[in-house]
Amino acid sequence: MSVSYKPVIWNRTKLIYDAVLLAGIVLYILLYLNVGPQISTALQEVDPPIRRMRAFGSLALLLLTFVLAIGPLARLDTRFMPLLYNRRHFGVITAVVAATHAAYVLAWYFAYSPTPQMTALFTSNTSFGSIAGFPFEIFGILALLILGILAVTSHDFWLSFLSPPLWKGIHMSIYAAYAAVVLHVALGALASRRDMTLALLTLGGLALLCTLHLVTGRRERVADAEGSPVDPDDGWIVVGDVAEIAEGRAILGAGPGGERIAVFRSNGALSAFSNVCSHQNGPIGEGKVVRGLVTCPWHGYQYRLEDGCSPPPFRERIRKYRVRLAGTTVLVDPDPLPLGTRLEPLPIPAAPARQGTA
Amino acid sequence: MQRRHRRAHAAIWTGLAVVLPLAVAIIFTTLPKPAPDAPAVRLDAAPAAEGQP
Repeated sequence: MSVSYKPVIWNRTKLIYDAVLLAGIVLYILLYLNVGPQISTALQEVDPPIRRMRAFGSLALLLLTFVLAIGPLARLDTRFMPLLYNRRHFGVITAVVAATHAAYVLAWYFAYSPTPQMTALFTSNTSFGSIAGFPFEIFGILALLILGILAVTSHDFWLSFLSPPLWKGIHMSIYAAYAAVVLHVALGALASRRDMTLALLTLGGLALLCTLHLVTGRRERVADAEGSPVDPDDGWIVVGDVAEIAEGRAILGAGPGGERIAVFRSNGALSAFSNVCSHQNGPIGEGKVVRGLVTCPWHGYQYRLEDGCSPPPFRERIRKYRVRLAGTTVLVDPDPLPLGTRLEPLPIPAAPARQGTA
Repeated sequence: MQRRHRRAHAAIWTGLAVVLPLAVAIIFTTLPKPAPDAPAVRLDAAPAAEGQP
């Protein structure tokens, strides 16, 4: 969270994350350039500049595949959640690696072009009527352009300036960039040479990503369709039994056709919130209460239990819902309270209380 | 918002899972093949062990 502009709010976790990422990138490039030619005759036969070009190109594809896998992996298994925390740095580095690949291409294939390099890049192949001969460069440029825009707008300033829904919409163009990269590789490198490793990386990565995203999408769809039972007396949503909620954690409910609602248990009381974090729409209900504040699992944005507002000087807010107990059953009013409304957590009577695990 | 986002997400990946493998398959099936009467020695073949091909 930030109330004033800072390029990057560094902390120990981000430093470790970036250090591991950069170390991995350096290791990959060194292995590709030095060990690659010893195990691949195809790499022995090409000049060092082409080798460097291929090293950065394949790395960009690998990084993009990985960064797109983080979201569904984190939803399938919470152990992948730490990867999500600094995913934006991952994306920015992917854009830099892809730009390095493009720079090597221009410097090698268009170094002695009589026309400006960019002109030559766009005019060297004009087989737009052919399928297999279609200019693959166009797809690479499109992907690089999208990655560049996403890298530039990745900062929280743009998130705040554009609003989370618009920012999220723009950043979903990463999928178009991925599709462009797959076509770029298929029409370019895979069509011109038999590179089994690259084919495996491209097609295996595509299969993996589609499977992960479709499986997680199906799980979410089933959860959405189920909704939560509704109390016929007053229309409140039956979220579950109070014993199901561990101390400092939440259970989720959902109205028919509505957003999910997270009911947290902290210090023997219940508080219900919208499950949507005001930062990047992260799933609040999968987070926990840290030092008396509901904490989003994605980027650590925090909200007070009594009013859903971030503690000063921060200004983020999420909606609260009224909650009541019928015996040990937790019910939530499906109509949210206006933002910032103060509503003290509902104490849990002594009888149904239990010792939870944090 | 999350719900709408999830729906859009599912639609996008369903589309990608259908379109991209299909596009790759079409690209590979339309790659030019050597003519039946093409010469046995080709410039794009692997080079000989020693000397000029």
